[in-house]
Amino acid sequence: MTAASLDLNRGPLAHLSQGTRSVVYRLLAMALIAAAMSFASEAFLTSNNLLNVLRQASLLFLLASGLTLVILTAGLDLSVGANVALSACLAATVIKGTGSVALGVAAGLGAGSLVGLANGLLVTLLRIPPFIATYGMLWILHGVTYWFMKGETIHGFPPAFRAVGSGYWLGVPIPVYVMLLFLAAGIVFAQRTTWGQEIYAIGANPEAARLSGVPVRRRLVLVYVASGAMAGLASLIFLARLNSAEGDIGETLTLPAIAAVLIGGTSLFGGVGSMLGTLVGAVILTLVLNFMNLLTINANWQPLVTGVIVVLAVFLDNLTRKGDSR
Amino acid sequence: MITDHSTQAGPLFELRGISKSFPGVRALDDVSFEIHPGEVHMLLGENGAGKSTLMKVLCGAYTADAGEFAHRGEPVHIDGPADARRYGIAVIFQEFTLVPYLNIAQNIFLGREFKSGFPGWVDAAGMHREARRILDQLGLALDTRTMVADLGVAHQQMVEIAKALSQQAKILVLDEPTAALSDRETERLFAMIAKLKADGVAMVYISHRMAEVFELGDRITVLRDGRKIATRMPGETAPAELVSLMVGRKVDMSYARSERPPAGPRVLDVRNVHTNSGLVDVSLNVRAGEIVGLAGLVGSGRTEVARAIFGADRVTSGTVEVFGKVQRGDPAKARALGVALIPEGRKTQGLALIRSVADNLLLAGLHKHFGKRWFSPRHGLAIARSLIERLRVVTPGPLQRVGLLSGGNQQKVVIGKWLNAESKLFLFDEPTRGIDVGAKAEIFALLDQLVRGGAAVLMISSELPEIIAVCDRTYVMREGRVAGELARAQMTEQSILTLGMHDA
Amino acid sequence: MHDAVTAAPAPNFLERLQRAGSAGGAAIVLLVLFAVFALAGRNFLTPGNLVNIAMQSTILLLLALPMTLIILTEGLDLSMGAVLTLCNVVLALVAVKTGALAPALAAALAVGLAFGLLNGTLVAALRIPPFVATLGTLGVAQGLALVVTDGQSVVGIPDAVQQMNSGLWFGLLPPPIAIAALAYLAMHLLLYQTRFGAYVFALGGNREALTLAGIHARGNLIAVYVLGGLMAGLAALLLTARINAGHPTAAIGMEFDAIAAVAVGGTSFERGKGWLLGTVLGVLAVGVLRNGLNLMSVPSSVQVSAIGVLVIVALLIDAFRGDRR
Repeated sequence: MTAASLDLNRGPLAHLSQGTRSVVYRLLAMALIAAAMSFASEAFLTSNNLLNVLRQASLLFLLASGLTLVILTAGLDLSVGANVALSACLAATVIKGTGSVALGVAAGLGAGSLVGLANGLLVTLLRIPPFIATYGMLWILHGVTYWFMKGETIHGFPPAFRAVGSGYWLGVPIPVYVMLLFLAAGIVFAQRTTWGQEIYAIGANPEAARLSGVPVRRRLVLVYVASGAMAGLASLIFLARLNSAEGDIGETLTLPAIAAVLIGGTSLFGGVGSMLGTLVGAVILTLVLNFMNLLTINANWQPLVTGVIVVLAVFLDNLTRKGDSR
Repeated sequence: MITDHSTQAGPLFELRGISKSFPGVRALDDVSFEIHPGEVHMLLGENGAGKSTLMKVLCGAYTADAGEFAHRGEPVHIDGPADARRYGIAVIFQEFTLVPYLNIAQNIFLGREFKSGFPGWVDAAGMHREARRILDQLGLALDTRTMVADLGVAHQQMVEIAKALSQQAKILVLDEPTAALSDRETERLFAMIAKLKADGVAMVYISHRMAEVFELGDRITVLRDGRKIATRMPGETAPAELVSLMVGRKVDMSYARSERPPAGPRVLDVRNVHTNSGLVDVSLNVRAGEIVGLAGLVGSGRTEVARAIFGADRVTSGTVEVFGKVQRGDPAKARALGVALIPEGRKTQGLALIRSVADNLLLAGLHKHFGKRWFSPRHGLAIARSLIERLRVVTPGPLQRVGLLSGGNQQKVVIGKWLNAESKLFLFDEPTRGIDVGAKAEIFALLDQLVRGGAAVLMISSELPEIIAVCDRTYVMREGRVAGELARAQMTEQSILTLGMHDA
Repeated sequence: MHDAVTAAPAPNFLERLQRAGSAGGAAIVLLVLFAVFALAGRNFLTPGNLVNIAMQSTILLLLALPMTLIILTEGLDLSMGAVLTLCNVVLALVAVKTGALAPALAAALAVGLAFGLLNGTLVAALRIPPFVATLGTLGVAQGLALVVTDGQSVVGIPDAVQQMNSGLWFGLLPPPIAIAALAYLAMHLLLYQTRFGAYVFALGGNREALTLAGIHARGNLIAVYVLGGLMAGLAALLLTARINAGHPTAAIGMEFDAIAAVAVGGTSFERGKGWLLGTVLGVLAVGVLRNGLNLMSVPSSVQVSAIGVLVIVALLIDAFRGDRR
């Protein structure tokens, strides 16, 4: 089929770089959606609702941030949702068992990162295609989580810990600050470190990167570890927010995380995308789901809508990609 | 299908006055060519002489700009692959059109399966019978139920030929069919070819092995620069004459060789290297301040040598020493040592097309300029700008997507990437392919600059005049080995080509 | 690269067994698992239990068969579990409403067909990578299943449907096993005796060759996914009969078992290399594993981990045998 190339090289923003333009377009889309929502529903513009949206979006962003790096290398991590479950349950178990929040946090982050490392090794050493490796990992994690949770739920965590998930500071939910911190960190990593440059190069043309002396395998392991670590971090905030942990939290997080990354302009084929874009993508998705909630649409439609959005995003990506000279 | 071709007068198929141009290059210029039944017509020529373009025109993959075709004397048109098939023309490609996990019979009749009772049902027995008949005709004792994936390359090639024949091919085009074959397999192929000749099948055979040319050929045509230079019968000529007909290309090259300082110490020492990519006992060396050429025909292993030196391919035995350190198949280490590889496929291997000129320029030099960690876009842009200026890259700006640049400028970006990395040993693989004259001159000047500054250059090129003009000495590869080394005084097109061809 | 010339006599049975990658490995895996659980005691080796394994494997087989074809084309269908679930609830709802089997089955097949077409179109016509496309349709199917049932089970399944899980056909076989056997037979003939089957191998092994031969690659690829959808619809019949209900999360995740079965059975994810009988062995291996672990009171989710490990082992065997390029 012939693809119309969306030529973003002309037009009013032609002097900006491709990446910046992409984010600007999405910010506009986000603004439009928000405007439409405020017209369609009175409940939208309440401070309560908006702060809630921010909180959700922040959590989603945290999970999607590491995933962005993976997708930038033309990879995929389908295990992030299950990783969240495992890390949260592990952290919960440790906190309850030792009474120490610090140990629990370490356990959660450690578990998430280890999972990421395993994924990275499966992909680089065993050369298993990322979507299969992380898909298999997903189920393995699921099982492991159930195994030590034995179907039970853990709840009741120290208030200081819970505050990180559900508390406010200066009227803004705390997760938003965490999000801002990691947004900054993510942007710095992607744009201001040599590793970031190499990761973009790997996604754009892995062979050319290798032949330019980039240690491709090492960087790939790095991005999968990052994805796992961020899943670990997100799981902690989730835990703090929900104040309980059971085997199947996080199950419904993988698809929205991927959606956020793709909506944000990161291409599944690698080499194109940004952290800021992922944030905007997370906000847009959260807005859409929030919209559905406000219109009291059955929550069961949400995975469906997310699925459709993912397919649409990939379709559009296909179109614009074909317009490039490759 | 034994046809008595001796009663047929005149050629089975003719190409008359075929011309074909691509932007910037005249690939074929008024070429005429006769194909007679039961004959093997050998096609000779250097890299880029127009052989594969001619074959692509013949099989309908390209349309000729001018000229006509004749089938048994009648003028016909070939506007696409279907036309070519109609006249019984079949090309045996290097990449086989075989499905690995289907058996021989299934592959031969892919898309043309024998029908049986039910719709969609296949008459497998019938297919196997017919496949057996075809294989017998070719003298192939393979079981038709064998899966193609279980066959060696030689047999796969023969199945590909059987497939073509099953489609009533009367003219087979074979492009260096013995390139990947052992001696015994080659004999088997020749036996098959003899049978085909007896059956009246015509063959156009591209080869670089003189022994084959004279053993199998009934007619020999030499192409050069897209023109047909001569057609000879094997009895009237000899290898040396053929080589002299092949050389002497017109090259638009403006290159003024400047004075070079005497060569320094050895920076590259390759000793008895074997690789899985086909290199056998390769030894060569390069000294600082030298431009050493690496010549040879396509497929002779030149690119593989560069890749082995850079560490892109693993060396299975022997050593590669660069600046005194042994190289072990790690491109990152090679870069750190100061080795640069400017690969053959600049779009596929040298550049990230969707990234900017600046991004590409900076990639190999990231660690040199920014240490292990912090990258400054502004500083990076400044470096990029200075490189763009130094190399005179034509681009609207450093942020332009590199895929939009012209070939010559893209090549400069690749070179610039390695200048940025402060490399000292440059491995160039076909540096001027697809580049206009002006840019070529600039690149040669750059090479001079590099070696004057103490760097070493190993240059792979199919353009013999370039090698002769630019290089201080040349190694010639042939079928995975180093066939010889030529000092500057000995470097002529004749000598290089003779070394590069088997039994020349 | 110089390959040794193979004299290639007609392959004997053992060679054909080894041919499909780790298919020989599949038999070994099955035997090992069997032995392990048999030795672990606890009622594994009773005739009743063995029949149980066979019965429980039938639904998985119905999914794994078309999954084999899909994977042969270098594709993947992650939505199969969700589509099966949706077909299950649809079948249940229609069965309850009409009290009859035929309309219910027809509805389920229609739903399966629709999703098969959707998957096929996304992958073949819109060129969306299979795992993304089917991940998306997974969400759609899952969502629809929840919406249509409002999260509740559908009960009151009429006898006409329930019958499918009991009794004997031809006085010999329980219906599920008979249906599974017929399905295998049909797939086998389809894959190895028809043009379409040859094209399936070509889609994965050398898609270009197909186009060069003038065959419509896209149409055939869509057909492969449609087959998956239809089989999910058929499997829904057995599922509904077995659990005697329509449940919105009935078969979520079953695609993983199917993919695992195909992988363990020796079908490779690349190059169109595979073996249908191997899938049967793989299904049995997964069935034995689950059954054995069940008897040891290992919870379902952990069983899944074990299956995941099994797949990795199968892939490792593949890798060490140098079959993965």
